[in-house]
Amino acid sequence: MILAVDAETLRQLTVDGFFRGCSYGLLGVGFALILGVTGRFHFAYGFTYTFAAYMAFTFTFRVDLPFWPSAVLGVLVAAVVGAAIERLVYRPLAANAGPTALLAVFVAALGLGIAGDNLVRLFWGSETQAYFGPTKKAYHVWDTVFLNFDVWQAASGIVITILLALTLRHTALGRRIKATRVNPDLARTIGIDADSTYVICFFLGTICAGVAAIWYALKFTVDPAMGSSPIIYAFVVAFLAGTARSPIRVFITGVLVALIEQYSSIWLSVRWTQTAVFVVLVGYLTVLAVRSSAFAARFRRPIMRA
Amino acid sequence: MELWLNYLDQVLIYATLALSLNLLLGYAGQVSVAHASFGAIGGYAMGYLSLTHNWNFLFGTVIGMALAFVIGSIVALPALKLTVEYLILLTLAVSSVILGLLIATPSMGGTFGLIGLPTANLFGWHLREPHDWVLPSLVAMLIVYAICHRIGESPTGRVLKGIREDPISTQALGKNVFGYKVAVFGISSALAAFAGALLAAWLQLATPSVYGFAFALTIFAIVIFGGMGNLTGTVLGAAVVVLLEPVLRRVVKIEAARASIVQLIVYGLALAVLMRVRPQGALPEGFSIWRWLRGERARRHRIEMVEGWVPKSIGVHERAQAEGVDDVSDEIDRHRKWLDAPVVLETSGVGKRFGGIVAANDLHIELRRGTIAALVGPNGAGKTTVFNLLTGAIAPDAGSVKLNGEELVGLNPAQVARKGLVRSFQDVRLFNRLSCLQNVMMAVQHQAGENFATLAFAHRRVVAVEEKTRTAAMDWLGFVGMTDFADVPAGALSYGQTKLVSLARVLATEAEVLLLDEPASGIDTRWVDTILDLIETVREQGRTVCVVEHNLHVVGRLADHTYFMELGEITAAGTIAELTNTPRLAEAYFGTS
Repeated sequence: MILAVDAETLRQLTVDGFFRGCSYGLLGVGFALILGVTGRFHFAYGFTYTFAAYMAFTFTFRVDLPFWPSAVLGVLVAAVVGAAIERLVYRPLAANAGPTALLAVFVAALGLGIAGDNLVRLFWGSETQAYFGPTKKAYHVWDTVFLNFDVWQAASGIVITILLALTLRHTALGRRIKATRVNPDLARTIGIDADSTYVICFFLGTICAGVAAIWYALKFTVDPAMGSSPIIYAFVVAFLAGTARSPIRVFITGVLVALIEQYSSIWLSVRWTQTAVFVVLVGYLTVLAVRSSAFAARFRRPIMRA
Repeated sequence: MELWLNYLDQVLIYATLALSLNLLLGYAGQVSVAHASFGAIGGYAMGYLSLTHNWNFLFGTVIGMALAFVIGSIVALPALKLTVEYLILLTLAVSSVILGLLIATPSMGGTFGLIGLPTANLFGWHLREPHDWVLPSLVAMLIVYAICHRIGESPTGRVLKGIREDPISTQALGKNVFGYKVAVFGISSALAAFAGALLAAWLQLATPSVYGFAFALTIFAIVIFGGMGNLTGTVLGAAVVVLLEPVLRRVVKIEAARASIVQLIVYGLALAVLMRVRPQGALPEGFSIWRWLRGERARRHRIEMVEGWVPKSIGVHERAQAEGVDDVSDEIDRHRKWLDAPVVLETSGVGKRFGGIVAANDLHIELRRGTIAALVGPNGAGKTTVFNLLTGAIAPDAGSVKLNGEELVGLNPAQVARKGLVRSFQDVRLFNRLSCLQNVMMAVQHQAGENFATLAFAHRRVVAVEEKTRTAAMDWLGFVGMTDFADVPAGALSYGQTKLVSLARVLATEAEVLLLDEPASGIDTRWVDTILDLIETVREQGRTVCVVEHNLHVVGRLADHTYFMELGEITAAGTIAELTNTPRLAEAYFGTS
């Protein structure tokens, strides 16, 4: 097949893909931490993403705080909400549901997501709103264009991912999280408080979503439905990488997904690019299913349930 | 009035689609969030053919169903080995691909979809107004209900539930798990396409947003809300979810702009609250409104029935001792019998490596008719691996396994089971949410009702065979002394009882050769005697048995011939007395000399 683009466009696509990928990667890292450790199908992750952006927006424009404090506060408030969802909704629900907990949590999370998105509509209105934070600046490097927000997004994504990876590898908290991920019941028997570890994972995971949301809001706008597409990407990236894998691997997978999406626009019209990602995903899952013995070792839960 | 009839139509159509999903989700345990997009296939096929070719919507619907059947069956192929999480992901991706393709295809109307479809014409009856649609959509819903009920509550449905509970042990009983999964995925997808076509005909449009993610989740929520595996619950769920909006608008006076927002908030919170209060859904599996109205409440199974229960004693052993058969002469006797018995199953040179680890090497095992062979050896010697190799759960790298001269290597566990070689599992693997009777019925072979075609066209045969199956299963439950527990879900039994039911289940296959993996481990002595008596009775009936067992008393009592296994190899064979008198083996097994 002939490459239908010149080198300049290709460079721009790569740069765009990389920055977009940093967002996917960060979303994936947060979602993988939640799903991999707690096993909760947290579909309300998209809502916490939206909520972080709106809280930061509110702190900036209603409370008149400067941008940075309001961004930090917005992310933290959302993270508290994420942790509260686990503590107040998922945990009692899962305890009650027993063997069907996974689907029950999934449906409850769907419900929370729907309710949450509409609460946002109710309080902040349905319309799209611009978030003017720091001045937007464009950089021109090697015939490519990108924004200061892009750089911050990439930097924050990489820093958070590395910090999380270091935490998991070298701290007591990390060992606790990993032990819970491998086997929560066993972790309990050696005195690890698995329940509060779950809450911590929700807190940390939601921070990842919140940070990604802030940069999206600055680059584009805030709107009540802004979380619906990130949740899908978070989902895809986390699974492609493997939910029990290192955050760094998840992050890189996010970048690769975005690059596939960007490059597919060379051969396919833009309206096909998202479909292309899902075609790759279906193909990948098919291959994994065929080689399922190798597959089983990569994730916490066995493929065939006993 | 017309407005409410419109909602009624919507309830019926949503229920139709949700029923198709419940067949897959509730009975077969296969999660799909792609059912809305299978509906889209039906809707778009119908819409496209009626717009461009003026086809009647019924013909278009049939085409859409066929298409969805094929696509659904293909999706089932990778879905076969995935857990719930991955199924959600896979079906999510598939539905995105289907919708993405529809959006990207100009002849399908792109982002706008197909709009302005002609009024549906049902044999000359033009369905224009909401009241025209009530009867057709009711009939459509009832048809799908009937199909799902027919499949779900039949022997086929029993197999589907078995797959849901434990695919490995379903396969070990001779069921073609692969075929059932593909078929049920295909049928369910075709029914979804039927409902989707109905929806498009009713709305007179087929657009990406109609069948979008929100709709997919609504359908999913209806099934979970109503109760998985309960079809009446699904209809109820559809009614609640659809009617929530208009009822809210009537009851709570809010301005129109905010009404839909508040409605969605209430709906979302209601889903979360319902899952908290009733995670198994409004109507749990097996609950029937009709039976409940007639006052038939499910019998509560008292805990003491399970805990205080003692197995019946068959007393073979006591009788033998009373008759003065001493152990030594008995053993010589059994050894002679082993030597005379014809070989039923013979393996030669069977081997298996996993990377550098030799799990089995050059195995030569003979099982002889009417005798019990035992496989003993230290933990990790590869005894269970031998069972996996014999039954095809693991394909050997080398060697052959012959049952009555017929080669078994290359067959899957279900085929091996149907040839007459059936195993039990060390960890029992009963179907926990099925009753003991159903567990045993599942094992009965040659059931007419386990075939979709017979189910559709030969009702009488299905009923007759089912009756025979039930009788046979009751007999085997009676044999192990568990008749009283026929209706009790297997998950409620004590461990010893599950061992008994598991034995009944293996026996009910009528297989010639039985491989029993630690049939008497982990239970107290009284129970051990009962189980050993049962196994001896089975031997007297002329079946061929091989047990894996750690307890040398058990082996000493049962085994006519013993194979000793170490590190994947059989290093000695003979009577148990011979083996225990060999100092080297005693050391390998007990760790002392």
